[in-house]
Amino acid sequence: MNDATAPIAGAEAIAFTVNGRPITVAAAPAKRLAAALRDDLGLTGTKVGCDAGDCGACTVLIDGAQFCSCLVPLGRIAGSEVTTVEGLEFGPLQAAFHRHGAAQCGICAPGLLIAATDLLRHTPAPTEQEVADALGGVLCRCTGYRKIVDAVLDVGGDDGGKVPSSGAAVGARTVKVDGIAKLTGEARFGADAVPTGALWLKAVRAPYPARFTVGELGPLRAAHPGLVRVLAAADLPCNAFGIYPELRDQPVLADGLARYRGEAVLALVGDRDSLALVDAGSVPVSYEPIQAVHGLDAAMAKDAPRVQADKPGNLLVEGGVVSGDADRAWADCAALAEGVFETSAVEHAYIEPEAGWARRTGDRIEIHVSTQTPYMDRDETAHVLGLAPDQVRIVPTTCGGGFGGKLDLLVQPLIARAAWLEGRPVAWVLDRPESMAASTKRHAARITARIGADDEGRLRAASVDAVFDTGAYASWGPTVAGRVPIHGCGPYRLANVRARGRAYFTNTAPAGAFRGFGVPQTAIAHEALIDDLAASLNIDRLEIRSRNALRPGDRTATGQVLGDSVGLAACLEALLPDWHAALAEAEAFNAADPRSRRGVGIGCMWYGIGNTAPSNPSTMRLALSRDGTLTLYNGAVDIGQGSSTVLAQVVADTLGVPVDRVRMVVGDTDRTDDAGKTSASRQTFISGRAAQLAGEDLTQRILRLVNAGADASLDLDGPSLTVTDGGARHRIDLTALPEDADGAVLAGAGRFDPPTTPLDADGQGTPYATYAFAAQMAVVDVDLALGMTRPVYIHAAHDVGRAINPTLTEGQIHGGIAQGLGLALMEEYLPGRTENLHDYLIPTFCDMPGITVTLIEQAEPLGPFGAKGVGEPALIPTAPAILGAIRHATGVRVTRVPALPHRLRAAIRDMERANG
Amino acid sequence: MNAIQYEAPGSVEDAVALLAQANGEARVLAGGTDLLVQMRAGLVRPGLIVDVKKIFDMTLIAPDDGGFRIGAATCGERIGANNSLRAAWPGVVEAAKLIGSTQIQSRATIGGNLCNASPAADSVPAIIAAGGTCTVAGPDGRRDVAAGDIATGPGQTSLGKGEMVVDIRLPARPPRSGSAYLRFIPRTEMDIAVVGAGVCLSLDEGGVCTAARVTLGAVAPKVLVVEAAADALIGTPVDETALQALAAAASAACEPIDDIRGTVEFRTKVAGVLARRAAGIALERAGSN
Ligand SMILES: Cc1cc2nc3c(=O)[nH]c(=O)nc-3n(C[C@H](O)[C@H](O)[C@H](O)COP(=O)(O)OP(=O)(O)OC[C@H]3O[C@@H](n4cnc5c(N)ncnc54)[C@H](O)[C@@H]3O)c2cc1C
Ligand code: FES
Ligand code: FES
Repeated sequence: MNDATAPIAGAEAIAFTVNGRPITVAAAPAKRLAAALRDDLGLTGTKVGCDAGDCGACTVLIDGAQFCSCLVPLGRIAGSEVTTVEGLEFGPLQAAFHRHGAAQCGICAPGLLIAATDLLRHTPAPTEQEVADALGGVLCRCTGYRKIVDAVLDVGGDDGGKVPSSGAAVGARTVKVDGIAKLTGEARFGADAVPTGALWLKAVRAPYPARFTVGELGPLRAAHPGLVRVLAAADLPCNAFGIYPELRDQPVLADGLARYRGEAVLALVGDRDSLALVDAGSVPVSYEPIQAVHGLDAAMAKDAPRVQADKPGNLLVEGGVVSGDADRAWADCAALAEGVFETSAVEHAYIEPEAGWARRTGDRIEIHVSTQTPYMDRDETAHVLGLAPDQVRIVPTTCGGGFGGKLDLLVQPLIARAAWLEGRPVAWVLDRPESMAASTKRHAARITARIGADDEGRLRAASVDAVFDTGAYASWGPTVAGRVPIHGCGPYRLANVRARGRAYFTNTAPAGAFRGFGVPQTAIAHEALIDDLAASLNIDRLEIRSRNALRPGDRTATGQVLGDSVGLAACLEALLPDWHAALAEAEAFNAADPRSRRGVGIGCMWYGIGNTAPSNPSTMRLALSRDGTLTLYNGAVDIGQGSSTVLAQVVADTLGVPVDRVRMVVGDTDRTDDAGKTSASRQTFISGRAAQLAGEDLTQRILRLVNAGADASLDLDGPSLTVTDGGARHRIDLTALPEDADGAVLAGAGRFDPPTTPLDADGQGTPYATYAFAAQMAVVDVDLALGMTRPVYIHAAHDVGRAINPTLTEGQIHGGIAQGLGLALMEEYLPGRTENLHDYLIPTFCDMPGITVTLIEQAEPLGPFGAKGVGEPALIPTAPAILGAIRHATGVRVTRVPALPHRLRAAIRDMERANG
Repeated sequence: MNAIQYEAPGSVEDAVALLAQANGEARVLAGGTDLLVQMRAGLVRPGLIVDVKKIFDMTLIAPDDGGFRIGAATCGERIGANNSLRAAWPGVVEAAKLIGSTQIQSRATIGGNLCNASPAADSVPAIIAAGGTCTVAGPDGRRDVAAGDIATGPGQTSLGKGEMVVDIRLPARPPRSGSAYLRFIPRTEMDIAVVGAGVCLSLDEGGVCTAARVTLGAVAPKVLVVEAAADALIGTPVDETALQALAAAASAACEPIDDIRGTVEFRTKVAGVLARRAAGIALERAGSN
């Protein structure tokens, strides 16, 4: 949001050495090294995540010592030797990262590899603590750091990364298909491959919710001849977009009314240096503050001003589930628990801010962008530009983290419109404060819940009323309001349920999709109440969950009868030994240490895989070319979680070929089919199944060529394909087959749309084809005088159906735990106050506890090889488990997260006072 | 906006001359870990930057009259690696070591920490507790200034035009003395102190406290020297009663603000807790030397 970026005139010739090569850069001595490396030298392996020393993505070696290159003026390094990730050889360190799946999205990997190189040079056999200290200034939002630490501790270890034999890829710890490029600096993220000569874009954003008018732009243009165009609302053929075609309520550029701080009002297009010199204050926009609505109480107040004129009561949407008769059942309960729980807005904090570039090719537009949803990007951008969808091509770049935040349009329509009008490529890379102000957030929530049980702790009735602050525009608010009532009472048998979800507009950044769509917030409430019931009925907290856990054949609150893949009881059983050991250990610890107290907590969750109720298909295509190359045309973007690798494993085993034979085209809307969004933990289950069907289809076609039986096996060796059918061997010469337009000689396709039914007025139906289940236990220490919580251990047991790749599955769980920990203890987005990574805190290496992961595999018959999904489930039980542990340690029931030290300390004080 | 002039003189005199002659705003650049971030955010817009890292003298740690002379442009990593300094003034060293991650440590300087004048700067309470003084060089020559008199308020210093801090001097450690610094942050690393507490104390042969200094960071516009807290220790064997009195005095002295990192009430409470814990560590150290 700021302009004092780069007053970089007065170039001097500055000579230094980069990766052993002497170079001279003509630049101002005050220019930052990170910018010079990327923009002047094309060394885009060095990443910029914050430009402020907070994230460490830009870490390089300068004369052998690691440092953030965004904080080094070029003048300082004249004569120095700089090493970037491109200058590191692919050696045992990189191999260890690869083997351990230590790079998920991989945006942090260059900085980590540099930091680890520095460490290993003087400490060849570091301890875990030494690793954490040396790498500690590099943030990673994906991995939860465990795999990174494991990798650095295992440099030179056994190379288990060998390719599994044919038919054995599923279940193996295969290395990531796109892993190596992320470890060499070659992977191209949204900001990395901007064509030279591109114009750049810069948004002017509202400083607060306001009506505004744009003044005479002549003087601004005169002062900045490099400014070629200023886009305003009227320059967009259709200035509205949204997640739901029937709810396109968000303008690309605000039209006289900016509903939140950070909303874009103008887009300046010009050469990069000129834009850098434009001071926000010199752009003639005058703002008149409006009476803004902040927070749920203000939004729901009777006389509240309307955030959107046509939305009475500021209500966006309401969803609900009613089954049985909760109102009558309360009377039968031996124990009742109730409470109100509040959660804060949370920032995705992917290390890669939004970035991309667009170019016009005739009457089409091509957009290279970091995204989770190429097909929606295509359709919505086409809508804004007044084009047909097939006039827009989305080419996803490597995505440096998404977590739901890159499921909304941000850069796409503006760079596309500017490139369309200018006929030149246009690029846009958000800086960190702008990204944080403008992008979507996790919904802040208030959940009022009540659960009752009989005297044996069996749950009889539950009611949940969840209200969400959805910000200024709808975004994914309806999804949250729809998903929450279904999951709102937890993964338990409950005959009488009344659950409601509502989303209200306010004048803050839109709340969107964030790993779990409201379910993590709700889980905090129901798990606290289960703990209450356990306490009042004097039942062990794990035991009461076991008694109530959903099991195969049970009926859910929406009336759905669950199939066989319901592994919650098995998850709880897996935790049991650790649970009892931890409880005993905590007792001993508390007897010995008066300063801090140890507590143990537990949380459970369930999560429907895929979108709620409506059709959400995926289509995969598989082609074999004359030279024997097998290509999966895969529209499912891999945002670091590893879907490309998982799909390759599925395809390999379906065909019975080694996994390294599978090539891939990912996400390009001209070359793949719509696989749906990378969200809702759906790609392994839905696209995985589609890929399996594509593989089966291709196999059928091959077998039919030689009239082989269904259990014949394939052997692919270059252009020669051998089919072994019992004793008979058929050789197919691929070069002799006719090619189709794509150069394929044989092709297969698969489409899978999980069987769901729409929900009726009472929320009855089959919203999801399958559910993931999990239980996590946490051990924490709380410093009573300081209110400071330190998680020391987490055991996560997850029913994933089948772990197609256990390394990647564990990686998802570790990363989810890190985000759950952040949600519970430190993360709170406050507009204007925490718009950077030093005021908005996310977990670092040293914040992470020890983690044990137990994978439960209750195969889902519909899933590929039994798999379900794990992306979002990973995060959901963590906060409840940590909060339960805090309560066990201190007696305080936390009702507002994050449980910041000052809040927890105040609660401890109140409790001490109350107890005299 | 105009180009920024960048100079990297080789001597203190040249640096002072550049600063003194500058027309617009001129800034010393040490590690740049505050300055470049502030420039990026548009908070400061200097026309001249004077890089002092090339001034050899300013990056040295040298013995000085039984104590130490630490060049203002010395980074935290260097300070942490100096064994004799660590043995004498562990409080100062542990504070300097807290500044930033490894990726920051090799650049961020102690002089920058002091002159940035943040009330939450980690090394400053420790330096003041140790009785540190600074050499300030300017157009009119050099003068000595107590470390506590450099910052006058958030982002404000007593340095005049053309002046800069050349070094920080720590006295010889008195016998049977110990120092310690503790800070509180809501994350385990890489954050700005919510409260910082420095304690330095000396004992007589019988274990009675003869001198003490207690300092607090981040609870007032500048670092506080809490004399009442020191008085609570002096003349006592630093027992439970004395420590409780010290904690109460430290809390009473706070004039903090409410912000995202902590409420007034919380900071006040934490100041007492940390001062007390730091005193406990200092006491242990005093007893062992
Ligand atoms: C990621 C990150 C983490 C951080 N963590 C911490 C932390 O934990 N604790 C903490 O206290 N700080 C922290 N900081 C802030 C900063 O690193 C420290 O204050 C550091 O000591 C500043 O030193 P520097 O050499 O980089 O100063 P610079 O940025 O070079 O200078 C800071 C200011 O002091 C002036 N100045 C510098 N040297 C002199 C001199 N000799 N004479 C006169 N004026 C001078 C400059 O002109 C400037 O105004 C952090 C910063 C970052 C980016
Ligand atoms: S980009 Fe340099 S630390 Fe984030
Ligand atoms: S893998 Fe570290 S940020 Fe994505």
